[in-house]
Amino acid sequence: MLGYKKGLLAAGLLVMISISASLDSWAADRVYIGEQKCRACHHNAGQRDQYNKWRLTKHANAYAVLAMPESQEIAKLSGIADNPFDSPVCLGCHATASNVEDWELDETFHIQDGVQCELCHGSGSEYAELDVMRNPNAAMMAGLKMPTEQDCMICHKDKGSHLAVLKVKKFDYKMALGEIAHSGKGGPIPEEPKKPKKLIDGPKYVGAMSCAECHRGAMMGYAVSKWRLSSHSKAFAVLGTQKAKEIAKKRGIEGNPQQAEQCLKCHSTGHGEQAGWFTESFDVAQGVQCESCHGPGSEYMLEAVMLDPIASRESGLWKVNRETCLRCHPKEVDGKPFDYEKAVKKIEHFKKKDKTASAGIEYKTPFNIAVSRDGERLYIACEASDSLIVVEAASGQRIAEIQVENLPHGVCLSPDQSQVFVSNRGADTVSVIDSQSFAIIKTIPVGDEPHQMTTNLEGTRLYVANAGSDDVSIVDIQKGQEAKRLSAARGAWGVSRSSDGESVYVTNNLSHFVKFREPCRSEVTVIETKRDFIDTRIVIPEANLVQGVDCSPDGEFALVTMVRTKNLVPMTRVIQGWVMTNTLGVLWKDGRVDQLPLDELDNGFADPTDVVITPDGKYAYVTGGGIDAVAVIDLDKMKSILKNATDEERKNLLPNHLGVSTEFILKRITVGIGPRGLTVSPDGKYVYVADALDDAISVIDVAKQERIKTIDLGGPQQITEERMGERIFHNAEVTFGRQFSCHSCHPDGGVDGVTYDIEPDGIGINPVDNRTLRGILDTAPFKWTGKNPSLSRQCGPRLAVFFTRIDPFTPEQVKALDRYICTIPRNPNRFRLDGEMTPAQRRGKIIFERTMDNSGKEIPLDNRCNSCHPAPYYTSRDVVNIGVISELDTDLEFDIPHLNNIYETAPYMHDGRAETLEEIWTRYNPFDRHGVTNDMTKDQLKDLVEYLKTL
Amino acid sequence: MTRLTLIIILFAGLPLLLCAGEEIPQLAGEPYVYTEWETFYAEENGLPNDHIFSLRADGDRLWVGTEDGLALLEDGKWKVWQEKDGLPFKVVSGIAVSQKTGDVWLGLFGGGVARFSGGRFDHFHQLNSGLVNDVVYALTILDDELWVATTAGVSSYNTVTGEWEIFTDQNAPMEEIWCYSIDSHGKRVYVAVWGGGILEWDVETKHWDAHRDPDHEMEIDLYRDDGLIHIITTSVSFRDDIMWASTYFGLSRYDGRHWRGYTKVDSGLISDFINFAVGRDKNTCYCSTDLGLAVLADFESDTWVTYKRDADDAEHWTAHLMVQDKIIRSVPTKLSLPNHFIICSEFQGDDVWIGTGHGLAHGIGKGYYAGLK
Repeated sequence: MLGYKKGLLAAGLLVMISISASLDSWAADRVYIGEQKCRACHHNAGQRDQYNKWRLTKHANAYAVLAMPESQEIAKLSGIADNPFDSPVCLGCHATASNVEDWELDETFHIQDGVQCELCHGSGSEYAELDVMRNPNAAMMAGLKMPTEQDCMICHKDKGSHLAVLKVKKFDYKMALGEIAHSGKGGPIPEEPKKPKKLIDGPKYVGAMSCAECHRGAMMGYAVSKWRLSSHSKAFAVLGTQKAKEIAKKRGIEGNPQQAEQCLKCHSTGHGEQAGWFTESFDVAQGVQCESCHGPGSEYMLEAVMLDPIASRESGLWKVNRETCLRCHPKEVDGKPFDYEKAVKKIEHFKKKDKTASAGIEYKTPFNIAVSRDGERLYIACEASDSLIVVEAASGQRIAEIQVENLPHGVCLSPDQSQVFVSNRGADTVSVIDSQSFAIIKTIPVGDEPHQMTTNLEGTRLYVANAGSDDVSIVDIQKGQEAKRLSAARGAWGVSRSSDGESVYVTNNLSHFVKFREPCRSEVTVIETKRDFIDTRIVIPEANLVQGVDCSPDGEFALVTMVRTKNLVPMTRVIQGWVMTNTLGVLWKDGRVDQLPLDELDNGFADPTDVVITPDGKYAYVTGGGIDAVAVIDLDKMKSILKNATDEERKNLLPNHLGVSTEFILKRITVGIGPRGLTVSPDGKYVYVADALDDAISVIDVAKQERIKTIDLGGPQQITEERMGERIFHNAEVTFGRQFSCHSCHPDGGVDGVTYDIEPDGIGINPVDNRTLRGILDTAPFKWTGKNPSLSRQCGPRLAVFFTRIDPFTPEQVKALDRYICTIPRNPNRFRLDGEMTPAQRRGKIIFERTMDNSGKEIPLDNRCNSCHPAPYYTSRDVVNIGVISELDTDLEFDIPHLNNIYETAPYMHDGRAETLEEIWTRYNPFDRHGVTNDMTKDQLKDLVEYLKTL
Repeated sequence: MTRLTLIIILFAGLPLLLCAGEEIPQLAGEPYVYTEWETFYAEENGLPNDHIFSLRADGDRLWVGTEDGLALLEDGKWKVWQEKDGLPFKVVSGIAVSQKTGDVWLGLFGGGVARFSGGRFDHFHQLNSGLVNDVVYALTILDDELWVATTAGVSSYNTVTGEWEIFTDQNAPMEEIWCYSIDSHGKRVYVAVWGGGILEWDVETKHWDAHRDPDHEMEIDLYRDDGLIHIITTSVSFRDDIMWASTYFGLSRYDGRHWRGYTKVDSGLISDFINFAVGRDKNTCYCSTDLGLAVLADFESDTWVTYKRDADDAEHWTAHLMVQDKIIRSVPTKLSLPNHFIICSEFQGDDVWIGTGHGLAHGIGKGYYAGLK
């Protein structure tokens, strides 16, 4: 009996393996073949002419329109920092097969064809054969899809960014369907007599797609896109219209104009030449192509030839002038006069750098400062301008501005002052700059989202806190490469070296994962520099957003900035530090941790960001990013308060005692808008503050405890709506007691990693995980319940009735805030490789797109991964019940989250119950209501997770 | 007569024939013998539990994995972590220390894997990570990658990129997926698969090689040196370009070209049932068996030192100096462990540690030397 059962089991396993294998091979065999292959059968007389219709729709130009200035603006509003042509989100709806690997594209596939047949009907290689296509069932089995309204709505649902820029009407599905109607069936490829084709020796026509290989980017003036949007590219397709047929008839041309010599002469390229003049890549259906005006390109298309004007002319590149156009554009055609100048302007496509490329106002946004040992120079990392600005401290004169990489954040100097290190948090690198010549000596790859840095005393090692990968890169400075990576906690942020050089303190912005309804718990990771091992991990209870850190000169303690977020029941605690207690943490050498509020009663100190201690150890300065001020801490008084308190008071009373801050904070010095990093001059006389949203440095005189001047970093004077929104986002004026800003819960537009029990819907119910703001505009509706249709509603009335206990935002403020939030860019995806996937990611993609489970049973359409999470945002923007309603939830359905950069927004699910992506399915999908996953083997689930990280 | 019976008769008779003219072998030199020992128990010394499952020396420190917690011996003092102290799971079956980061990785028998770093335990298990299974036998670290042998295959975890990989019968030549032991060296990872021999993974070519018993016999080893002695392997160790593999049917040594097999019939192995074997150098291997410790002290001269209690009521263990399977001389030791079932062993400088089903012992290697003297 046992043997029988074993046999059954083995047979079952075999079936599973074979099905799994066949699924893999089925999916692996499918490639995108391009519209030209479809056209072979769908471009003939009768009910077979789908090509012409498609070619004249907006779908055919969907890729080309990404070159338009409006597209740049839409991308910006969608939080896309890339060029739209490089953005998977834009390409997801403006091109076919944008999320596949290179091997999945046949040579006949051209991305320039925009939204072509295969975006709606599926990759064609397996169903394109006539025998398969004749049998609808067989074609479907081979991958042919017949799109539904739901499929169309994946791309055509209202998108805030498009509505804002294009002022388009609401999408009408039925009307749109009428516009693209292309009924008919196709049929066999007409047999043509096979003629031996011998290519001539001289210049031959290669076709526009060959030209497109080089002439497509911004540097080439988007030449191919402009051509594609012109009437020239449609010149052949228009011959298939009824109007063309009528014109032809009027002129006595019988039959199909697309085959009539008189028409083709000016509606196609190279017409009249023998077959040997055309290479395989040439496609007559592309109409009036580059070579119509510039001559057959086979001999001059090589880059080396093209770059040499004489050589290119000698190789057949025609000189284009009025006569070129007048060959087909006589002075008057059908009663319409031809205006040469106007026509040339209309098709202008030769500029090296297109003016339409984004050329917005560029702010500096200084984030962090380093000062030279002699105190004469300041080195300022400026996030918005991607630059390091060097100024003379005394005069404020700008000495240099060096372009580094994306989003420079931290800056520090080597002990011998010869090198400046700048962390680029958007590029995952550290730029090494010669402090004298200002040349970039080297760019060193480090972990994800590098923030602050320091060196060891000897200057041989650089410690880089990586907020994205939750670790610390230790860089061998001499070798210029990362030597090792140490695990931090979550969101490694600030870095400070102890005075004896034996330790490096690293703060972590996000709390450890904690159990449901337990308070936050954050960590300061301490590295011992002798061996570069983790020495200890100081745990700070009830704290998150631990960012700034500085070690005291006497080595007795370190100070950190932090927030005590009351995310649990109740959020508002009148006698327990209100909602978010902005706090100074004191980490003593013996391991003891104290916490003292920086807030006063009714006068909060929102967003404490950085701290610095003067060399004499008397004062500490803390930036309040949300209140545009710096607090001056009297350290002797601070120590005295702690010394005179009992253990019980230090543990339970002082951390929430809003009356104590006035005893150790000497004063608050008003600085510029949105202060972030700060530093003190080596002689201890001045404190320099980076006023991030003022593009300036505030200089504080330590003796006077006053701001004595500001150094202008040369940012634009104009304040755009977006900048205004950025300032509102980072300012706590609107909240009761100035305790927090938007930035407090969404640091830099991301998440604080905390689950909130927000009270308006009732205390103790509906806990919700915080969600990122990066690139969210087009993922409406908002909130986990999906009840807010727009950001304006989310940020306007909602804030006014809940968070804002004083004045609501004005309509202008809401508009500006919305504008800014829309433009908060996503981070570059760290797991997506160019053009190819890892084997695990590839296997994971097949699982994500699977239609059958491991037993061969079909997965219902509405329970497949990509039904609810379709590209490019990987959300259908609906609300669903995936079977995770808890007794605390009053809603039965939740918003389907987008999955872009999903790896950086843990914890997951509406109430943050899943710490990792795996747990979503291993723990919280027992009945297969969140996709069919319980049939998966462990390695299949792992592969799925690896793929999800690439989205 | 079956083929098997014939083989047994032939092999059983062969020693008798050989004995007729056989000379008693002599020691080619003196192997080192551990005579000074100290022992540690839960009740007396503060170990969390007497069932010692794993040992790892880290400089002067010794990590000990037990059935109910993790212990660290440092500067003569024991420090213990149990579940109440944050250890994610009580049974610590494997320990690896990253020389690069200083992090200690723990294999948890039924609880997955934990990283112990700066006093914090990070828990990775089959529900929250890409780890293939929570029943972990052993782990090893190769550069930035952690390799884990589990009861359902091997997992690797890149500690820099966070990427997991899983190897099972689906993508590796595993006739079984029960992976008992794992070791790494250079660019290679070695896995002992219970019932599947030894697998060797080349990190650069991403290719598996398999070492199996060429004679395919499950009951006996038909040809001693034709390859791995048996496919039921329990551990693998790679030192000085030599691979040592233990099985429940003897020990194998492989120099990359030649195999050498050892069983209790023709060597100093006390028992063929080897739980764990670890190479000390190219000529020396320590075998933790169910009947005591068998040390191949010198490969060239086939010299062994075996440690066991000669009589059940003997207070101390005796070391037997052997050449092949012949005892040449016996030496009393101060080792007093009550249990012969040795589960693991580890070297710490000149010293040796052995973990048993009842207590831990420390052999003090004063004047230790390798090979023979």
